[in-house]
Amino acid sequence: MSSRTASPTTWAWLEERFGRREFLLKAGWAFFYLFLGGWLLSNLKYLFPNVLYEPSLSFKAGRPEEFALGISEKWKKAQRVWIVRTQEGFYCFWARCTHLGCTPNWFDAEGRFKCPCHGSNFNTHGDVIAGPAPKPLWRCAIRVADDGQLFIDKGRLENRPGQREQGDFFLPMKA
Amino acid sequence: MQDLKQSVKKTKLWKSIFRHDFADTPRTRLQRVFGNVFLHLHPVRVPKDALRVVYTWGMGGLSFYMFLVLTVTGILLMFYYRPTTIHAYQDIKDLAYAVTLGGLLRNMHRWAAHLMVVVVILHMVRVFLTGAYKPPREYNWVVGVLLLVMTLFLSYTGYLLPWDQLALWAVTVGAQMAASSPVVGNEGPFRLPFITTANDARFGLIGGTVIGDATLIRFYVLHCIAVPFIFCVFLCVHLWRVRKDAFSRQTGEKVDVWPHLVSREFLAALLSTIVLFVWSMAMQAPLEGIANLNVTPNPSKAPWYFVGLQELLVYFDPWIAGVVLPTAIIVGLMAIPYVDVNPRGVGQYPTMARRGALWVPTERPFAVSVFMLGIVMWFVLIFIGYYCRGPNWEWYWPWEEWSHRRVTKLTLKNLPNLWGGLLLLSYFLQGTPMPKFVKDRLAARGGPRAPALVSASLHLGLGMVMAASIFVPLIWAPDPDYPEKSKYTMLFLSLGHAPNAPVVSGLYRLVEQLGAGAGYAIIAGIIAATGLLLGWIGIGFARFKDRLYEEVGLIKYSLVMGLFLCMMGVLGKIVLRLLFGIKYLISFPGASFNI
Repeated sequence: MSSRTASPTTWAWLEERFGRREFLLKAGWAFFYLFLGGWLLSNLKYLFPNVLYEPSLSFKAGRPEEFALGISEKWKKAQRVWIVRTQEGFYCFWARCTHLGCTPNWFDAEGRFKCPCHGSNFNTHGDVIAGPAPKPLWRCAIRVADDGQLFIDKGRLENRPGQREQGDFFLPMKA
Repeated sequence: MQDLKQSVKKTKLWKSIFRHDFADTPRTRLQRVFGNVFLHLHPVRVPKDALRVVYTWGMGGLSFYMFLVLTVTGILLMFYYRPTTIHAYQDIKDLAYAVTLGGLLRNMHRWAAHLMVVVVILHMVRVFLTGAYKPPREYNWVVGVLLLVMTLFLSYTGYLLPWDQLALWAVTVGAQMAASSPVVGNEGPFRLPFITTANDARFGLIGGTVIGDATLIRFYVLHCIAVPFIFCVFLCVHLWRVRKDAFSRQTGEKVDVWPHLVSREFLAALLSTIVLFVWSMAMQAPLEGIANLNVTPNPSKAPWYFVGLQELLVYFDPWIAGVVLPTAIIVGLMAIPYVDVNPRGVGQYPTMARRGALWVPTERPFAVSVFMLGIVMWFVLIFIGYYCRGPNWEWYWPWEEWSHRRVTKLTLKNLPNLWGGLLLLSYFLQGTPMPKFVKDRLAARGGPRAPALVSASLHLGLGMVMAASIFVPLIWAPDPDYPEKSKYTMLFLSLGHAPNAPVVSGLYRLVEQLGAGAGYAIIAGIIAATGLLLGWIGIGFARFKDRLYEEVGLIKYSLVMGLFLCMMGVLGKIVLRLLFGIKYLISFPGASFNI
């Protein structure tokens, strides 16, 4: 833009401002940056693998008769779950704090799960009663497999009161 | 012998390497610096003031030296270390116990990393106190903050590598913070609709949905190549800018860099190496049991420089403590040179003077006090996390013995959203200034004393609202955790019996022992007194606020006051948590939005 004189008509102003030279120059740079940005952004996807090689999220936990009333820590070390048996039936907690993912511990005397990382406390329903955790503990889907063993699926989780006590997340079985 | 030396010095080989002779003449002094690629980072001559040890404490140079030590020891460690879950822990064990000098190298690498964090922080404090970030050095301060962040990120990526329990759980927590980030985290607020565990920020960081081989190789590359590479780029800019922007203090004459500066650098490097050697021979770098994805050590503590953040995570929702606050701290630090328009205090430590009962910095009272308060708060958090937290992250005094069987029934409650919102609103409104034109209009309408009266009554009113919105719901609101009971349990009842809400349980005991009439009357008095106190603090700051507003304008004022109020708000929330048993002020669990 060599001359800055005001044009009498809008058209002439447009011609000067966005004329062929200017247009081609700007369009050229626009495409350069568009390509550069798009290429860099598409590389972000490179950091997100398409195929994962991770352990299976479901397992068989043995026959229901093997579990006494209360919280069972039998599968905590191997599968990171607590299996809870009440008078009415079974449910299963994923032993992963909803705050930042540490494994809480079960304290029988207080009837609480307590997390060692930031001090969250959960009761036997999984609800938060102290500490920073924002959500109740997750419950895993639980059913009886064809061979009569408990079948637990950590891939399907629920923690909303109302939904978590029914359907796939609670296995009715009188003690 | 002398002849041999002379003849060697005359050979073509010698001359091709060393371009000058070593007699101590002014000419060789200069040649040594600019004729040497490693030394030519220095100017040829520096102001004598910049050499005074008690001015800089050599912190910048020592940070750089620690970086070099870490690079060299790190490269050597890489000869034995394989970043896979099967080998990593065994390789570290080998290094510590079977490889000749491996243990010493590992210890040096670990302790040099700790030392570097300390030195970099002290360097920042020194630069702040001597006003060395003021024009024309603003941008170099920003680069310095980036280098600090990268130093911490290098430490974070480094401690996954031994694949022990400390490593795994520190990284679990760190990665989960990414999942709590707003918009791009699966468990954060304002989550985009297509974000799941399989494509959120955490997934990108750890390369999968669980921490494993993919994470290990990712952190290995970040730690050994990617971050050091970017670090070097910024380091070059930083050092180059130090030269180009000149030193903040230069009153007197200049002296030759060789030998005056080079000898000091050599001495500093020597002394710090000795310290590091002794430290590394005396203390083993910690190595816990092999990583177990299912079992967390109790308590699980991060290394000291992250324990402050870990402690902060106790008081806030992860998206605030893990994402918003660190970002605010970093942005706030970077913004300092651009919002601090006070030109005074460059090139010297602040002088203190007595004002009333307090010692106050004379030239930059607000800047120095707020910055130092921030630093002190950070180290207080570190102290609490390191010395006052025991099993289950429960409070233990430093002299108390830890017990895994101690029975404690902690209880935390949310303030009802409306009250909590009112508290936050009135708190942040305390930060609004009264611009001059408003004052003028008020004075024109109501006489010369009107602006002061209006300002005082506004601040007192806000203080009263704040006090009321803390205490009133705690005492008269029902506890929503017991909805099925015929008569609602009150928050006052639940927190009154909790062992972790001393103020509320104190008030509860007051009502129990004095009876309802006298008890509630005293409580009303306490509320009024708290309101008056908060209002009085507001009034005390009012004149300062108005002056600051007129000096720096709306944008800078909002940034400074917003960050300042956030910092004090963190302190306030910690008090509410530790003394009142309050968990959140505002809580929308469905949207993962909690404050």
